Amino acid sequence: QDAAAGYTPMKPTQGVGMPSEAGLGFQDQYSKIGEYGAWIHNIVLMPIITVICVFVLALLVWVAVRYNRRANPVASKTSHNTAIEIVWTILPVFILLGIAVPSIDLIAKQYKPAPKSALTIKVTGNQWFWTYGYPDNGDFEVISNMLNLPGQPVVNNGIREVGSEPWDGPSHLEVDNRMVVPVGEPIRLQITAADVIHSFAVPSLWFKLDAVPGRINERVLMVEKPGVYYGQCSELCGAKHGYMPIAVEALPRDKYNAWVMTHAGGVIDGQEAPAAAEAAPAEQPAVDTVPVDAGVAEATEAPVE
Amino acid sequence: MATTADQFQGHVDDHGHHDHGHDHPGFFARWFMSTNHKDIGTMYLIFAIFAGIIGGAFSGMMRVELAEPGIQYLDMFSRWFGAENPDFTQTLHTWNVLITAHGLIMVFFMVMPAIIGGFGNWFVPIMIGAPDMAFPRMNNISFWLTVAGFVSLLCSAFVPGGTGLGAGTGWTVYAPLSTSGSVGPAVDFGIFALHLSGAGSIMGAINFITTIFNMRAPGMTLHKMPLFVWSVLVTAFLLLLSLPVLAAAITMLLTDRNFGTTFFDPAGGGDPVLYQHLFWFFGHPEVYIMILPGFGIISQIISTFSKKPVFGYLGMAYAMVAIGVVGFIVWAHHMYSTGLSVNTKMYFTAATMVIAVPTGVKIFSWIATMWGGSIEFKSPMVWAIGFIFLFTVGGVTGVVLANGGVDDNLHDTYYVVAHFHYVLSLGAVTSLFAGFYYWFPKMSGRMHSEALSYLHFAVFFVGVNMIFFPMHFLGLQGMPRRYPDYAEAYTYWNQFATWGYMVMAASIAIWFANIVYAFSAGRRVEDNYWGEGATTLEWTLSSPPPFHQFETLPVIEETAHH
Amino acid sequence: MAGTKNHEYHILPPDIVPLATTLGALIFTSGMVLFMHDMPGGTFVPWLGLALLIASMWTWFTKIVHEARAGDHTPVVQLHQRYGMILFIASEVMFFVGWFWAFFDFSLFPTTLTEVVDGQWPPKAIEAVMDPFALPLLNTLILLCSGTTVTWAHHSLIHGDRESVKKGLWATILLGVLFSFIQGYEYLHAPFAFGENTYGSAFYMATGFHGFHVIVGTIFLAVCLVRTYQGDFTPRQHFGFEAAAWYWHFVDVVWLFLFVAVYVWGGWGYPTH
Ligand code: HEA
Ligand code: HEA
Ligand code: CUA
Ligand SMILES: [Cu+2]
Repeated sequence: QDAAAGYTPMKPTQGVGMPSEAGLGFQDQYSKIGEYGAWIHNIVLMPIITVICVFVLALLVWVAVRYNRRANPVASKTSHNTAIEIVWTILPVFILLGIAVPSIDLIAKQYKPAPKSALTIKVTGNQWFWTYGYPDNGDFEVISNMLNLPGQPVVNNGIREVGSEPWDGPSHLEVDNRMVVPVGEPIRLQITAADVIHSFAVPSLWFKLDAVPGRINERVLMVEKPGVYYGQCSELCGAKHGYMPIAVEALPRDKYNAWVMTHAGGVIDGQEAPAAAEAAPAEQPAVDTVPVDAGVAEATEAPVE
Repeated sequence: MATTADQFQGHVDDHGHHDHGHDHPGFFARWFMSTNHKDIGTMYLIFAIFAGIIGGAFSGMMRVELAEPGIQYLDMFSRWFGAENPDFTQTLHTWNVLITAHGLIMVFFMVMPAIIGGFGNWFVPIMIGAPDMAFPRMNNISFWLTVAGFVSLLCSAFVPGGTGLGAGTGWTVYAPLSTSGSVGPAVDFGIFALHLSGAGSIMGAINFITTIFNMRAPGMTLHKMPLFVWSVLVTAFLLLLSLPVLAAAITMLLTDRNFGTTFFDPAGGGDPVLYQHLFWFFGHPEVYIMILPGFGIISQIISTFSKKPVFGYLGMAYAMVAIGVVGFIVWAHHMYSTGLSVNTKMYFTAATMVIAVPTGVKIFSWIATMWGGSIEFKSPMVWAIGFIFLFTVGGVTGVVLANGGVDDNLHDTYYVVAHFHYVLSLGAVTSLFAGFYYWFPKMSGRMHSEALSYLHFAVFFVGVNMIFFPMHFLGLQGMPRRYPDYAEAYTYWNQFATWGYMVMAASIAIWFANIVYAFSAGRRVEDNYWGEGATTLEWTLSSPPPFHQFETLPVIEETAHH
Repeated sequence: MAGTKNHEYHILPPDIVPLATTLGALIFTSGMVLFMHDMPGGTFVPWLGLALLIASMWTWFTKIVHEARAGDHTPVVQLHQRYGMILFIASEVMFFVGWFWAFFDFSLFPTTLTEVVDGQWPPKAIEAVMDPFALPLLNTLILLCSGTTVTWAHHSLIHGDRESVKKGLWATILLGVLFSFIQGYEYLHAPFAFGENTYGSAFYMATGFHGFHVIVGTIFLAVCLVRTYQGDFTPRQHFGFEAAAWYWHFVDVVWLFLFVAVYVWGGWGYPTH
């Protein structure tokens, strides 16, 4: 894309908004919900389940050592102990109650509706790419395809290879046109699908919501820090389910506005983008060569802007 | 009655000529016309092992493809299924066919036939002191319908299914990918596979419930039944009440695909999420269907080798009942990201966590059974102890996933794959091997090699943990399921898992070696080869038991314990 | 000991029928796939499978009747059959739960996102529904009536009045056939098509599966009638008859739910035709 219009795609930071080499835990979180969710997992759940597993293992080791045939030649015949049975029924109940409190609270927070003034972005899953509509900014639409992988068969015809621009992020995750959002503002995402179910998921923003045809799922997204956050389609949607990543680029408001103005029909505060900033070529949809297998023709129409 | 059967075996009725009824029928009559619960059980076991090898081979194909990012072998695999010059889309489609077939085979054609059809058929009648199942002929059709379902599923792999050959819908067969998204006969073959084997399972469930309620030997009250029998009873109820809902759901798929209904087609007002509700209303009870009989097997083994009666017997039995009941009201925890309302999500979070309580009762009661015992570490016991630990690990990650807000980041990632393989491939399968070593000499009359059994366990334990433990890391890092290819950052643990597969595969070879050893050189065993701890009725019979056992029903004394 | 059976259970000889039935089922389902995809054989393979399926089931059930006559059905075996039938009906109930689930999902939460439905039930695309208080009400009465006639037959059987058993069964069967004909007539004249939208889907599949069960139940009762003529059933042992009656009552109850939910409530206040 042309930098002349005041926008150059952002270069992602290694290890931010993407998985890291041989990583063990959650990706670092860049939303309030994400920090809370990760806290519940890392500070509440993980220790509890680790202790339970270690406790069970320790008991097993103990009985194996203490009550094997050599150590204890004559087996006792006890088969009841009401007190202990009550304890191991009640204790887990309390542990679970302890888990439930923050857990339910997290769910409540996730469902807090967006303020009326919030920016709306429409996300649509398609076989196999995403489209992002910006109804509050002139209703233009961005089509987002995975970049092709060097040394692999072409995934999307007419799309460049990953690594061919300086701002490209990791392979399998980078796209030609990112979903750009303003940072630090609640955004109302309205998610649906055009064909089969997809799922819009960005791990580092603790966001996953299915794109279901015939439904519009709505949830608030708020990114805390500027950056590029990668995600991947998370509901099986056919052959190229693995090849429709998501890249969310969060920019300060002024840069976001500049990005909007690079689109034909983009509107900020009633100001329409000049026609010169024709963005169409860059957003040419991928037109698949349609495989005709065993007599079953599949129609892939090029999405129209 | 002009069946060929009459030539092989006299008709047993109240009017005499009983004596012919006990000659072994000839080969064809014995194996293709069987009305004998032990023979049918044997066929189920052989079938399950066969299906397990195919399902395991598919997972091997998946693991080699996942060893590195990029697509390496899928093209070759597509050709194996008959695709000529597959293009890239077809190649990728083959991945979905592999995981679909793997999931369906392991669930419907390996674990269920082995644990219910195989061990259930063999030992439920014996453990309650019955001569056979209540409906011996229906027992046979349950088995053959399972085979027919498998055949139908295999057919689907070689016919068009949309973007390539075979059904690429995932084992959950979600609409509309399985309807408008998969043109061609493959998915229809898959749907009929579920209809056929489902009908077989429903009849099996009816058979087990009737047998257990009506054919207990004199004195064997419900509260004296061995826990394995209890577990099959609860499982049979789950099957009976959940499978018909699946039948309705997949019938809707079928009519949506072929006859113009719009249950799941938004263009006609239909709702894809409805399918998920119907599927998981079946699907969640289904996961307990796969584990409860395993619980039962483990209870028998732990008690036998600790030389103690099961601790808290009633609690153990009713914990399974509780798991079964609660299992019916938690289904939407598989659907947290579909856009459920906030209250629905909270309800399912709370309800799901409840199941940890009765399951905990089982874990602790097993340990308490060992406590104070005089434990002998024969091979089944080693597998059983392995089960307790591995199932706990799988269970507690289930509790993590139960939290709707946390599941938002884990749903459809490898964390879920890790969770369910810990309860299935490490839980249910471990209980299968435990049961196998426990009862194999009883069924065959030959002792396996204990040394090879320990080795099998050790190698298997290392292998499966290498495969599936790192998947937790991959999932937390965000790697999605059902992907043939992935970002470079995920390479390390994927490669590790694939190495684990190789280790696991070696253990399966050891298992086969053990079977070969048993049949060729294994010593013949007496009635009760495990000794004083083994107290259930199968140990009063010869090994293998007579073709018809309990011609005279055993009587359970007042004081006998389970 | 060997060879002496000291219990009342029914030990069966080997039998080829289960395998034959399975083959029938597999050929039928595979043939249906061929049929649905216009593939070669699609026009006759399903019939072949169906024929084998029906023939094997016929053989199977005939055997059961013969075994009953031979005295194989001791009291405990009859108890098995009772359990079996109750459990089978329980699974059938769950099957209908699936169809009602779909119906209530569509009717309670009609989608606003498509013109076809437009947030209302019955969907906007449906111009008129059936008048529940015309033929459907008649059908309700027919089924209720048939419930009483089958009970009449049962009581007569218990009291050894075989002529009344025949009359009661004849009446029940005729009412069942009448129900099916009326249902067929309704389908042909319904103001909405099969499929196309949620109404046409939920309505026809739910009532259609019910109709299928009515036909099966009618055949079941007809078999009982034939057996009555042949002299089967005694006042003390007639489980075949009772099973048919239970099944018939089950079909009846499903209809009541369909009538109240789908016909009356589901079309309340909507133009009828
Ligand atoms: C044998 C099969 C089996 C079993 C037994 C379980 C058991 C459990 N499962 Fe699992 N599950 C599956 C098979 C199984 N599951 C499968 C196949 C899937 C994926 C399907 C698909 O999408 O393809 C799945 C997915 C799945 C999900 C959906 C994840 C997602 O898709 O996002 C969830 C969420 O709640 C879940 C939860 C649970 C819970 C809470 C249990 C509980 O029953 C576990 C209870 C056990 C314990 C907790 C351990 C022992 C207890 C103690 C030692 C007591 C103390 C413990 C505490 C106080 C915590 N499972
Ligand atoms: C019981 C169920 C079961 C079992 C045992 C397994 C076993 C294995 N599974 Fe599977 N798996 C599933 C059920 C199971 N799986 C399901 C439901 C899915 C989801 C599918 C979907 O997404 O739709 C899945 C998906 C799945 C994936 C994810 C694919 C993806 O999302 O892209 C992977 C990846 O590695 C995998 C790997 C393996 C491996 C390496 C094994 C190995 O452990 C296999 C080794 C083989 C055995 C351990 C079996 C040996 C047993 C016998 C031979 C019979 C024994 C019989 C007697 C003793 C009587 N499985
Ligand atoms: Cu789109 Cu998966
Ligand atoms: Cu579940």
